[in-house]
Formats: sequence, structure tokens, C-alpha cells
Amino acid sequence: MNIQIPSGEERHVQRRGGATIDGAPVAYVAALTAVMIAFTIIPLPLSIVIGFGRSFPLSQGLYGLVGWLLGPLAGALANGIGVLIGIFVNPQNTTIPGASVAGAAMGALAAGVLGATGLRRRWTLPLALFFLLEYLLYGGRAIVQNGADVRAVLAGSFINWSALLLFILPTRALCARWLRHADLRYVTVALFLGTWISSGLAHLTSATWVYFIYNWPAENWWLMAPAAPVEHVARCVIGAIVGTGVIAGLRATGILKPLHAAY
Amino acid sequence: MTAPLVVLERLSYQYPRSETLALRDISLEIQRGEFVGLIGPTGAGKTTLCLALNGIVPQFYGGRFFGRALVAGLDTVEQPVHALAARVGMVFEDPETQLTATSVENEIAFALENLRTPRAIIRQRIARVLAVVGLTGLERRHPHELSGGQKQRLAIAAALAVEPAVLVLDEATSQLDPAGAAEVFSVLRALNREQGMTVVMASHAAEELAEFADRLFLLAEGVLVEEGTPDTIYSQVALLEAHQLRPPQVAKTFSLLPEPPVRLPVRLEEGLAALPKQLVGLEPPAVISQRPHAAPMISVEGLHHRFADGTPALTGIDLAFYPGEYALIVGQNGTGKTSLVKHLLRLLEPTQGRVLVLGRDTREWTVGTLARHIGYVAQNPDQQIFNATVMQEIAFALRQLHFPPEEVASRTAEALTVLGLEAVADQHPFSLPKGDRARVIIAAMLVLQPQVIILDEPTTGQDYAGARAILDLSRVLHEQGKTIIVITHQLYLMPGYAERVIVMGKGQVLLDAPLRQAYHALGVLRDTQLSPPQAVLLGQHLCPAVQLLTPEEVAHCLATSQASGGDPC
Repeated sequence: MNIQIPSGEERHVQRRGGATIDGAPVAYVAALTAVMIAFTIIPLPLSIVIGFGRSFPLSQGLYGLVGWLLGPLAGALANGIGVLIGIFVNPQNTTIPGASVAGAAMGALAAGVLGATGLRRRWTLPLALFFLLEYLLYGGRAIVQNGADVRAVLAGSFINWSALLLFILPTRALCARWLRHADLRYVTVALFLGTWISSGLAHLTSATWVYFIYNWPAENWWLMAPAAPVEHVARCVIGAIVGTGVIAGLRATGILKPLHAAY
Repeated sequence: MTAPLVVLERLSYQYPRSETLALRDISLEIQRGEFVGLIGPTGAGKTTLCLALNGIVPQFYGGRFFGRALVAGLDTVEQPVHALAARVGMVFEDPETQLTATSVENEIAFALENLRTPRAIIRQRIARVLAVVGLTGLERRHPHELSGGQKQRLAIAAALAVEPAVLVLDEATSQLDPAGAAEVFSVLRALNREQGMTVVMASHAAEELAEFADRLFLLAEGVLVEEGTPDTIYSQVALLEAHQLRPPQVAKTFSLLPEPPVRLPVRLEEGLAALPKQLVGLEPPAVISQRPHAAPMISVEGLHHRFADGTPALTGIDLAFYPGEYALIVGQNGTGKTSLVKHLLRLLEPTQGRVLVLGRDTREWTVGTLARHIGYVAQNPDQQIFNATVMQEIAFALRQLHFPPEEVASRTAEALTVLGLEAVADQHPFSLPKGDRARVIIAAMLVLQPQVIILDEPTTGQDYAGARAILDLSRVLHEQGKTIIVITHQLYLMPGYAERVIVMGKGQVLLDAPLRQAYHALGVLRDTQLSPPQAVLLGQHLCPAVQLLTPEEVAHCLATSQASGGDPC
């Protein structure tokens, strides 16, 4: 081991812009955008047509992962562009393209903030208020304007309010800590839990948009109650399996870690 | 005298999360128009030094940077990478990873477009750099339709298009076949000698650097150990070998003489000139009796294969592989070597003819059952790695084949021991050096206890020590009775390992002979653009009938003849 002290003067090293977006190398953003395009094109065969989108693209399980790998802003960008191109290629996988793109971006943003350190942890409160506002608009419209049963709305939007609750509670910090854990079993659990949160909030963003346009019948809330969590568990399983392999590989290879990555 | 183009002053660098320095107190200067070679074993810091020249180190990687690096007057820490990119053209090891566009001309235009170069100038530059690298006429071709050498020449053209002050190549020929490597060196020589382009090239290709480089820098463990002309560096054989580097075979040969010359020849023509006139009266070596052949383990009978698009890959192959053989298959890329071995594994099926394994047509075997008898390590071991730990990777096939857990554990433990991987059993395979990753895949194949082991280009991209380690392992397996089939372009590595050579060309077997005989079939090798080792060429000059193979044999023959006043050795 060469432990000799260098004789040259130490220089201040800057990770310069141009090659990075919010501290994530452009090449990484491009690569993960390509992954999101591919996974948005591929629908899950067991798709349940609920909420937003006519099918269930695999990318919905990876919204959070991209945020943890690239950080909140670069992750949101990669998700947004990836899903936009993906649904352009396979429009079957969306009802309202804007809703899908916004949901994907918000999923990465939520995940990135969930795993943030330092000053960026302050982004949590405004983001939580934003999601709370979305939920009030979503559920409020159903109950107040459309007269849906409160219990049905709560049951049908379980994945959304539970995600918001987990985002606000200390589970956010626990999830962030486990994402950085050396033991991959903790990482897997964190990926499952984190995907529940990030994809749940992504779904909230998209579903609110879709509901304001399509206004599905009040009876649908009861139909969604058992189906949506099943679909959501599938997203979490995808996120946990793919994410564990990716994070294990990235850690092992020692490849450059983006500035705001959370693994 | 003009100012140096590159100045490194006490440059040290430490990667993030690393406890050691990748470079330590490097001070050097490179003049305009020089062709400089960077040599050193894996981990010496050659790639880091290349990346420091265009600011990727430290601006992309971060970490700690000490000292100063000036390129064309620009400080690589202070100037943004895009400004440095206009002055430093980079070409990396694998051409596949550098090409992103959908046509040759778009590939060259990409960097220029990003530098907002006017359209008319881009057109001019495309035409000019394609002419320089000899790819004129291929402007509309998709880069993936090019050969390996053409792809690397395209990468060089793309780097040249921005008119850099210096061209930096990091192992740019290590993944190419001999013809591809020769193409690249030929282009570099023309650029350097005719256009005065400054070239910095990290490479293990000793013979080529001896030929082309003006100066060499020898790095080891991040330290600049020695610098000088190829004559001074490559004639220090002991120094090179102490750093696990391979000297040119010419230099090695003359260093082995009882009284080596004061200045060792380092280039082939110098070595040939230093040899005495052809020795006469030498007897050819006694024909080594062939291994008594049992029934063939694998028979290939009248094998033809045509790809789906109609391209013929194999045209009438008749071969047999016997138990306990060590066979070498050589030939240029695209001559059907890999297609042939894929037929042995039933990864491809014959269009005509048949392949018998243990007397049964491969069409009667499943791929999975064949894999128990024939282990295959593909050219790029990384493509075969997909588990999170070395142990899981090695145990994977056994688990898939439902071996009992205790047998999985015992076979895995044995393979870890045999391959010397116990200490890294719980590490991620990609955290290991490339040579070790190849050993992981070999271990994963060995646990199935195959009788035949096929290694497809196992030494590509390895340094000399890594290549020898893999081949030494193949010899151990051979001594254990396994049948070994190796595909490689690096003929100089194989004496002492392989017994038989199958030379392929245009989908046919051109020659099937014992190694010594095959290496001296210069006509056949040249027809397939393979380069015989320098020792073979020296041996041909010295006493062709004896068919000398290695520097040791040539030196012994030479020493004996000198001792006997020029009589036969």
C-alpha cells in the first residue's frame, strides 16, 4: 500500500456542471432514462386496470429506485423523459400522458427527498404538503362533489394515504438509513417500503389528474379497495428485486456515485 | 525549443472511497509530436493518468488531487472537461462502448455538433478524418456493421475530428484481433509521423510499442518507475519482469544468452540483423509421439452452418477432439471459431452435418445436459456474471440442477479453493479485478465437473501476469485429465500449454497440426493475418528446420552455436 504523503499541493476539486445534472453524470441520467423507456413499454401481464393508465408498465416499480440512484432532481428528469418516450412508443400504457409523466417525476422526487441528507431534508415538508393537498383534492372531490362513501374512498385510496403517512412519519428516515445499510437484506426491505411510498405518491399525483378529468363512478372506489394494494405490492416487489441487484452491483464496482444518491 | 505539450508536476490522485493513491508524485513532460507509450501492470495507474490528461480525473470522479497537470497550457483542474475535450482526444479499450450514433458520419459529427461547429466545417472534417483512418466510403454504414479494427479506427476518427492537440489511447488495441490491432497501429504511425500528432498510448503490446513509440513511461503502483526510449526500457528485461511486464521476445531472447550484448535489440529487424547466418546441418526435433488416442470425445462431421441471413459461418468442418487433449483454435475474427465451439454446446445447430459428443448427436442432448460435460467460458466473462456474491455465482448452476445442498456446498468450497477465491467468496464478483472475474466464471463452470473445458479468448484484455495465471490454471486442469480447447489470437502465450493447433479461415479448417509445426506454417498464418511470435521468426532465420518456438529455445540454440564456433546447436 502506498501511504507516502504526496509532495504536490492539494487542489480544490470541483465536480463541474456540464457533465452532470444536479450532481448526477449525464451518462447515468441517459442510461436510466433508457431503462425507464424500456420498462414503460413493457406492460406487466397481470395488469389490473385501475386508477391511471390502461395497463401497468413495469417502470412503475422503479420510479423510486431512479430517485435513489440519481438523486431527486436528476431522478425526476430521467423518469419524466423515460416515461414520456415510453408511452409515446406504447400509448396503451397510459390514459393521460401528462399524468403518467408527472407521476413518474414526482415518484423520483419523493424518493430522492426520502433518501436526502443535509439541507435537502428540508424539502420534505413542502413536498409532504404538496402531496397532502393533492390527496385532499382527490378524496375531497370524490366525497364532497361526487358523493362517494367516505369509507370506500379511504379503502380505495389506501395505497395513497398510507404512502403519504409513511413519508411524513419517521419511517422515512428509517427507510433512508436501511437503503445505505451494508447488509443487503435491509436494503431489500428499504426498497420494498420505499417503493410503497414513492410509487404510492406517484400514483396519487397521476390519479388526482386522471380523476379530475374522468371522474370515475363512486362504486369504483370499492372495486379499487382490494385490487389497488395487490397491484401496488407487485410494484414494490419489482422495485425490491431489481433495486437490490442494481445497488449491490453499483456498490461492488465502486462506480462513481452521484452526489445526491441514497444508496 | 517549444514548450512541452503536456506537463505533469508532482501529480498525485486518490479516488473517492479509496485508501491508496492511484498516482503518486508523477512528474513528466511530453513534447509536441511525440509518440509516448505508458506501460505497467494492471493497477499501475495508466488509465488514471490517461483520464487526468483531459480532466475526467478529478472533475468527473471527484477524489483528492495534488500537484498540477497542464495540457496545451490548460490546467486540467481549473478548465472544464468540455474545454479540455477539444484538445485531448480519448480512445478507450472497447470500441463498442464508445460508439453511440447510427452512422459513421453521425458518430464523427457528434462532438463537433456539441462544440457548435458550423455545418460546412463538420462536413469537411468528416471527409478528412475518414480519409486519415481509411474509412472513406463507409459514411452511411452503421457503426455496429464494422469490424473491430474499423470500429476502433472510427473512434480514433471521432477523436481526431475536434482536432485535438494530443490523442490519448488507453489499451485501444487489447480487444482487437491481430489484423484490427495492426490497422490501428498503422493509422497511429501515419498520424504521428506524417501529421505530427502527439500520441499517448497505454498498452501491453510490447512489440508494437518498441516499433512505434519515441519514449516509454513505466508505471507501477501509481509511481513513475522509469522513463526512456524503447531501447533503454525494453532492454531492461529484469526490471520489466520484476513488474510483471513482458519484454519484446527479441529482447528476451538476447537477454538469455550467456553473454548478452551490451545493448539488447528490441525490434525484430534488429534481432534478425544480430543473428549469425543461417545455421546448417541442424536436425529437426524428434517428432513427439502423439497421445494414444482413445475414441474421440467430440466428433465434428461435415459441419456446415449458415446464419439466418444466409451468411455462411462454417463450411465443411471435419474434426475430432480426444480425451485429455489441449487444443488451440486460432484465426481472425469472423472465421467461425466461436461458431464452431457453440455447435459443441448445441448453442448453434448444424445447417448440415453433425456433431457427436461422447458418440451421441448433439441434437439428442439438451443444452443443460451438454453443459455438464462441456464447460464454456465466453469471451467476456462479465456477460456470464449475474449473482451478488462469488459464492452464489459458483453455486448457481448446481442449485438450478437441484444438486443436494451438501454437495452444492462441498463442490463450491472445492472450486473456491482450487481457484484461490476463498478470501473473496462473499464479495460481489464485479468488485474483483478482471482476471479474478474470469476465474469466478471458470470456477462456476468447474463445479459441474465437465470433461471438456472451452475457453474463448480467455486472455483478451488481461495483462501478461493475468493471462499467464489463467493459462497456468488451464494447464493444471489439463494435467488433471480434462480436455482443454482454447481460442486465442495471442500465439506467443501458448507454447508450453497447447499441444495441437487448429487454424481456421473463412469457415474452414486450414491447418490441423501439432503446435510446433503449426507455428512454423508461416504461409498459412499470414493468409489468416495471424502474427507468429517473434521467437518463431528468429528461429526461422536461425535454423528453420528445428522449428524453434520460444525465446528460451532460440537463445539456447544461439548460445550453443556460439560456443561451438557456429556449429549446429
